[in-house]
Amino acid sequence: MEDFYCVVTFHITQHALIFEKVMKNKDVEVKLMPVPRQVSSSCGTAAKIPCDLEEDIKNWCNEENIQIEGFHKISNKGGSGWFNKLLNNNRGK
Amino acid sequence: MADKRKMFVYGGIIGLIGAILVKFGNPGNMGICIACFWRDITGALGLHRAAVVQYIRPEIIGIIFGSFIVSYLTGDFKVRGGSSPLIRFVLGFFLMIGALVFLGCPLRMLLRIGNGDLNAIVGLLGYVFGIFVGVQFLKKGYTLGRSIEQSKIVGFIFPIFAVVLLIFLIVKPAFILFSEEGPGSMAAPVILSLVLGAVVGIVLQRSRICTAGGFRDAILIKDYHFLWGLIGILVFNLIGNLVLNFGSFKISFEGQPIAHTNHIWNFLGMTLVGLCSVLLGGCPIRQTILASQGDGDAGVTVLGLIAGAAFSHNFGLASSGTGSTTNGQIAVIIGIIAVLIIAYSVVAGAKNRSKAKEVVNNG
Repeated sequence: MEDFYCVVTFHITQHALIFEKVMKNKDVEVKLMPVPRQVSSSCGTAAKIPCDLEEDIKNWCNEENIQIEGFHKISNKGGSGWFNKLLNNNRGK
Repeated sequence: MADKRKMFVYGGIIGLIGAILVKFGNPGNMGICIACFWRDITGALGLHRAAVVQYIRPEIIGIIFGSFIVSYLTGDFKVRGGSSPLIRFVLGFFLMIGALVFLGCPLRMLLRIGNGDLNAIVGLLGYVFGIFVGVQFLKKGYTLGRSIEQSKIVGFIFPIFAVVLLIFLIVKPAFILFSEEGPGSMAAPVILSLVLGAVVGIVLQRSRICTAGGFRDAILIKDYHFLWGLIGILVFNLIGNLVLNFGSFKISFEGQPIAHTNHIWNFLGMTLVGLCSVLLGGCPIRQTILASQGDGDAGVTVLGLIAGAAFSHNFGLASSGTGSTTNGQIAVIIGIIAVLIIAYSVVAGAKNRSKAKEVVNNG
């Protein structure tokens, strides 16, 4: 297992669904999942994506008018109870 | 897999507590029921006058304290609000009406199944159907909008409310009503209810288990993370009941405690609950947890639950062991129609706004 993975979070559930469709069309490996505990105490929908595509994904979201709440890099180490937010930008708050 | 196991165990703790509280005096299959308990508190405050369901339930106070303290210590306590509060109030209001026609919130529905009440399986089918309908609106762009940071005092309102309730429970002033018979008079010892309530609050705050979220994610994104929590509740409650409450364990439709056998209204009552829960982003217990960790919108939702409980009993909407009432049946139909109109309007409004934005962007 890798030490970390990346997710994109959204303001609106529908955007997560549109995002999944757009990524699949671009042959990007994507999987919808609950927002990881490390990111938020809410229980919305996030999309797991390859970390190295952050810039591409942000550009594609701009083109497709998908508003993303944030791009998060999540550590697998230390369990989900104690978290590491290694990278957390563009939170849109 | 480790995550799923964790959810299963977290849910299991809730299920076991449900069985323990019945063993120590709570009404049948009502170890924990957020709708019933808020309804009892509403009655104790005199907002409805159904003499058999009035009690300051210590479990609710414990849940609020547990969620508040653990969220404060872990940094999850974030004071936010302003996301369509009036819509949330109305959804909370109708959610409670649906729950009191069925006789229980989604959590009690699981606990009823865990003690053999087959009527609750009919309720479960209705609940999942309601969530399925709600999910269609999510797919079309339903959202109640972003919440924004609020003044810190907003986040303390619910914990302070819990302190006030605790004072009322201990001091028992004359204006607070306590049932002398019926479900409101049946209760586990105060300290036990408080402590186990706090455990429930901590477990649910950390795990984020939500009865609506579990089914929503399974339907919407085929993710079963939270569903494992619900399975844990069911399995451990069943085991807990077989060990602790074997005398009352009975697989049947008839003769179940605080339940009725009107299948259509069990189904439709919980359809309304499922629909409201998914549109609110959480079931009653999740709303109570969120309200305790600084979410002002969830706080407004709980106030909607309280108002719904008051009207349910004042207008004769709530069911009883003998069945649902005509008023309650009419209220469920009105509720389903009203909530569908709200959801449709929200989706239509969001579409119009995004079209207007495109026009502006394209010059």
